[in-house]
Amino acid sequence: MKRLLETGNYAITEGAIIAGCRFFCGYPITPATELAEAMSYRLPQMGGTFLQAEDECGAMHMCIGAALGGLKAMTATSGPGYILYSDPFGWAIGCETPVVVMNSGRVGPVSGITGAPGQGEFYMTRYPAQGGNYESICLAPNSAQEAMYMTVEAFYLAERFRMPVTVLADQLITDGFEDISVPETEDEIREMGFRTWPRKMNEGPSFYPPTDEIDVPPVVLGHNTGALCSDWTPTEEGYDIEEVEAHHKHAYRLIYKVRNHRDIFNHLYEKKYMDDDPDLVVVSYGSPSRVVNTAVERARQKGIKVGALRLINLWPFPDEHFEKPGKYLCVELNWDGQLVREVRRATTSDSTVNFMGICGDLPTINELIETFEKVIKNEPLSRDGWRKEMW
Amino acid sequence: MERKSSVFLDNYLRSRKIPSTACTGCGLGMNHKLVVQALAELEVEVKDVIWCTSIGCAGRQTFATWQGDNLAGTHGRIYAIAKGLRVALPPEKHLILTVGDGDAFGIGLNHLINAARANADMTVIVNDNLGYQSTGGQYGWTTPQGAKTDSSPYGFYEPNLMGEGMDVLHILKGAGATFLARHVSMDGKAAVESIKKAILNRGFSLVHMPYPCTTNFASRHLGSRDPGQIYRWVRDHAAPIGQEKEDTIWSTGIWHDESNVRPEFSDLIRENVEKIRRLGHR
Repeated sequence: MKRLLETGNYAITEGAIIAGCRFFCGYPITPATELAEAMSYRLPQMGGTFLQAEDECGAMHMCIGAALGGLKAMTATSGPGYILYSDPFGWAIGCETPVVVMNSGRVGPVSGITGAPGQGEFYMTRYPAQGGNYESICLAPNSAQEAMYMTVEAFYLAERFRMPVTVLADQLITDGFEDISVPETEDEIREMGFRTWPRKMNEGPSFYPPTDEIDVPPVVLGHNTGALCSDWTPTEEGYDIEEVEAHHKHAYRLIYKVRNHRDIFNHLYEKKYMDDDPDLVVVSYGSPSRVVNTAVERARQKGIKVGALRLINLWPFPDEHFEKPGKYLCVELNWDGQLVREVRRATTSDSTVNFMGICGDLPTINELIETFEKVIKNEPLSRDGWRKEMW
Repeated sequence: MERKSSVFLDNYLRSRKIPSTACTGCGLGMNHKLVVQALAELEVEVKDVIWCTSIGCAGRQTFATWQGDNLAGTHGRIYAIAKGLRVALPPEKHLILTVGDGDAFGIGLNHLINAARANADMTVIVNDNLGYQSTGGQYGWTTPQGAKTDSSPYGFYEPNLMGEGMDVLHILKGAGATFLARHVSMDGKAAVESIKKAILNRGFSLVHMPYPCTTNFASRHLGSRDPGQIYRWVRDHAAPIGQEKEDTIWSTGIWHDESNVRPEFSDLIRENVEKIRRLGHR
């Protein structure tokens, strides 16, 4: 095992290689460029292929092509590139092609601020493609080391569920330098708790079974299995068909293969000071959760009874954490409030859900503790003009 | 009606999709047959072809017709998918792409040019039905100038990608394509020979193949859905390169042949990856 002071982008690259990724195609975009650069250096050493595409749309389509040829493939981008993935994302969801996508959030909308962290794509990771009728899987790490873990995990889930999986990071995680440990042997990979899953091949003729089962091998072309894969509604064999019933069966599979097997990944969360029924639960994910964890610890030292719930598995949304009535505060790196909407949906009607939003920077510990106290005392959250969004 | 089986149906195609659901009088089947004939004459085996298609008439009607593996991309993206697939597959596998004019020369032109630039080994057959016909008959980028369509009721007056000096084949040649040809679907044997050369080029090949659309193009532009009229119209507006007349729209034949001269995309990758591995870490 080697220890390094490296960026999240580097850690993700090493994670992808551990997972068996041998194809990467991307398009330069801050703050995911260094991931492409690291891949361009590391993949050929492993016998893999790095490609730079004409645009993000082409990049993910090339990943799909490589995945259909039997390779584990990955692409990475930031918000303005993630929207150009919509087209291939839909294809990969519909054709059930395993691909891993890393999105490093910055401040939007559009190009916004390139070198500052944001969490404006919470809902976009749920609906990365048009049309609906599918479920998504999204994992959100909060450190470089965890980004490595979640990348390996994303490859594992992509194979078992045979679908594209998003790793949602942000600029601080991908660009920030941290102490990381990289396993160097198979034993170390196992000891460090990484889960991997080999690429298998569907032999047909049932390429798209109308069931919720997982571990159905994906289509691999070039072996004369007679595989049919397209963007149209498939029959079980893959013939294109214009029938609502056939599409309903297909959509059932796309939705429920994920919803009915959440037990495989719903342990991906972190709870701190949550055992004594705290007066306030602070919900967050990604890099702000690190400040939240510290603020909750300090607040506890001051006798304020708060707990921290950090989500790693963002989608499908883990409703089970919000069954208990109480006070919740969502801390997010955006000003419009996205996670808070989902928490409001998931909580009981007698719960109160508050929002503290900041974007491009992290909240301070003092600001957070002040807000915890106000929410607990039922005091209105002050609004400091345009400076901060609190409700 | 009793249908007689054919050698092509027995050896290469799927009876579930042949005959296709194309309109009566559609010329796509002629193009499709020319491609299968070229593969048959080259004795390419079913297992060695990945039949790739796009959307629209050409994509939908040729998808899942090949007895082996079939793949269809969304609007204009199959060239990028095929490039990724090319990297993953062994060199002996043929990628045959039967796509439409809107897909290749409209929405997919960026990806197409970049596949040509890379000289990625694929054979792209652009089945040009003179516009966007599966959406009801709008003009496309190789629709003949002056044509009346549902979106050009007064005649198509924008510059298209088929005029002298602006031909899409010039663009693709400039981008690095190593084999380019154009044939109308009535070219028969000559078209088969060009398609065979396209397949034998280990690199990016494209054959542009205009064919008659009776339902939309002919009914709007010629005022008739009589297949005979549009067949004659397409045939009479095509002439071999060097024998063009004043009203020739499509100059047919081989436009550009640099087969097997430039290195192929995936070969280049394999070669470089091998070199990097051999030389080890920096």
